[in-house]
Amino acid sequence: MGLLRYTVWRCLQAIPVLVGILTITFFLTNAIPGDPVSIMLGPTPSAEMVEQIQARYGLDRPLHERYFSYLAGVAQGDLGHSIYYDVPVLTKIIERLPVTAYLVFSAFGFALLTAIPLGVISAKRRNEPVDHVSRIVALIGVSTPSFWIGLLLIIVFSFQLGLLPATGLFLPWADPANVRGAATQFDVVVESFKRLLMPMVALGTLQMASITRIERSSMVDSLQNEYVKLARAYGVDERGVIWKHAFKPAQLPVITIVGLGLSTALGGAVLIETVFEINGMGRLIIQAINNQDYPLVMGTTFMLGALYLVGVIITDISYAYIDPRVSYGEK
Amino acid sequence: MSEEPLLKVENLKTQFFTEDGTVRAVDGISFEVYEGELVGLVGESGAGKSVAALSVMRLIDSPGVIVDGEVTFKGKTLVGYEETTGEPGEPPELVEREEMLTEEEMRTQIRGREIAIIFQDPMESLNPVFTVGSQLREFIELNRDLSGTEARAEAVQMLREVGIPEPEKRYEQYPHQFSGGMRQRVLIAMALACEPSLIIADEPTTALDVTVEGQILDLVEELQRKYDTAFVWVTHDMGVVAEICDRVNVMYLGEVIEQANVEELFYDTKHPYTEALLASMPRPDRTTGELNPIRGVMPEAINPPSGCRFHSRCPDAREVCRRVHPDLRAIENGDHDGDENGRVHRAACVKHDAFDVGYPESEPLENEATGGFEVGLTQEGSR
Ligand SMILES: Nc1ncnc2c1ncn2[C@@H]1O[C@H](COP(=O)(O)OP(=O)(O)O)[C@@H](O)[C@H]1O
Ligand code: SF4
Ligand SMILES: [Mg+2]
Repeated sequence: MGLLRYTVWRCLQAIPVLVGILTITFFLTNAIPGDPVSIMLGPTPSAEMVEQIQARYGLDRPLHERYFSYLAGVAQGDLGHSIYYDVPVLTKIIERLPVTAYLVFSAFGFALLTAIPLGVISAKRRNEPVDHVSRIVALIGVSTPSFWIGLLLIIVFSFQLGLLPATGLFLPWADPANVRGAATQFDVVVESFKRLLMPMVALGTLQMASITRIERSSMVDSLQNEYVKLARAYGVDERGVIWKHAFKPAQLPVITIVGLGLSTALGGAVLIETVFEINGMGRLIIQAINNQDYPLVMGTTFMLGALYLVGVIITDISYAYIDPRVSYGEK
Repeated sequence: MSEEPLLKVENLKTQFFTEDGTVRAVDGISFEVYEGELVGLVGESGAGKSVAALSVMRLIDSPGVIVDGEVTFKGKTLVGYEETTGEPGEPPELVEREEMLTEEEMRTQIRGREIAIIFQDPMESLNPVFTVGSQLREFIELNRDLSGTEARAEAVQMLREVGIPEPEKRYEQYPHQFSGGMRQRVLIAMALACEPSLIIADEPTTALDVTVEGQILDLVEELQRKYDTAFVWVTHDMGVVAEICDRVNVMYLGEVIEQANVEELFYDTKHPYTEALLASMPRPDRTTGELNPIRGVMPEAINPPSGCRFHSRCPDAREVCRRVHPDLRAIENGDHDGDENGRVHRAACVKHDAFDVGYPESEPLENEATGGFEVGLTQEGSR
């Protein structure tokens, strides 16, 4: 079973990469000028208090010692203690990560659900009006910044039309007691979806546009293939020719673009969370940096890195799933 | 004529409307294929063989259009138009005759089910992301109305029949795990398993090396006899023709210029182009060790030469050949009129009496072959 072995192998390969991410975040964070202690204690702290705080956060030890104990901690699931919030970093991340995941995941869902049919139809009707329209839309999509789309959506749908709330996002399974104006779980789901719509579209448009473009060009190539002509010559109907024989092999470049898009989307989430005032990972990172909360900066950066790595692994595995030459180690 | 042909192609014309002009890829060809017969379609690269093969199945994509002619198969009209009109250089207004099959009927009644095709490049003909077995099964299921399990059994059986060892195991494998020769066997299995009456094989052995080609030809001969399937075998190689074909159509620049059974074509050649093709191939029955490649290059199908299209390269060319365009005609034969089935020897060359356009009195023509000027040598089939 080539695919299973490939999956395990790919996950093992991720370990050194994770250590690399940890190392880089650790040293970069420590290279940031400024001092968290002085922020905590105000402009003129007494010497004992400084020492006391430094000792409490281990800042009095040499850098390499702190590095190794940090690594050991992470290996046991301890990402350190947030200076600013005074809670374990992991607690803060667990609180914030799901909202960001919900946003990014929905943005990709929206992007794929619109881009794939659009790209395929565009390829099938090459140089016809449908194709021209979809190509222009895609071009606008890849060249418009997401925060700008976000602001535009807020102006139109919140301020002008008053249809959608402009800020805040919570999960559809949040407790109704914590959601203002919601009596049942169903109300929560509806409200959650209404709040998701605009940030999802703002974040997903770039992905949608770039996936549409690659889907189109990949399908155009694929439809020229000899094996696609063969399927037609054996009486396969047009739907089968396009959605099976041409579609599956055409998804390899698409997967690559989706994988690359994940890092863009995680970066984009920081902006979108700021625009829509969503308390997710993106805003957490910005707050951590502003407060020079080193453990939190390291923890969140590492977490986003790990998240990206998961995305890359999923990409690679889907690649191997589609192309047998990859899982059989011939490519 | 002793029987109705299985496939009848009459005056078929397929053109490509490109920016550079109209490519007259297939320009009024006619030929027949009778049941269980192996018919060759020979000619240099660019002669229009592939376009002709695809036109029969109506698989020509834009900018190509079948602009005229008639194709009938088992009494069904695959191609047939009312009078066609149009500006030169533009695709004509085509009005399909009532009885011409619709696209849907072509798909469900003809393609795969009655006429199957084998393409030239076995490396490109199988989908890399599906197992060989699933591709076979899909086409068998579709064209023989079998259930999935029955189709699977049939596929494995066919793989065994075309000489693939361990067919059960191979069924589960992907195309990249097969060699070129093995893939071509798979494609032959695919064609035969659908049990069509006619298989069109478009240079199926050209991409293979000579030993593998020999094995595939032997296999096809054996299976052709066993299943009694008719074949149209497209090739540029007279050696292949000699080995497997019953009758042959020689194509030059979109036209069939000679049509005969294989013995007559080789031993009583009527057309100078066929002669040139034969001279360019190694033959055990000819003592001279020297090969004579055909001189010059085939002209473009966009602006075919006036008169006989071969006149720029024909060693026998005379003035009249530049003016008169010879059609394909029965050529009188001292011994008999046609072969045992009454199928006649036809050729399109004005030097034969059947034409009577003043060839004997005409001045010889200087050209690439007679030494007027020389263009680079071309010979198809350099492997
Ligand atoms: N899609 C196309 N567009 C334009 N010209 C084409 C196309 N396909 C084939 N042709 C032209 O048709 C002629 C016959 O081609 P083809 O049938 O492939 O030759 P053969 O199979 O005999 O080598 C050539 O001149 C070729 O350039
Ligand atoms: S018609 Fe003339 S040019 Fe053409 S093949 Fe015959 S002799 Fe040669
Ligand atoms: Mg060809």
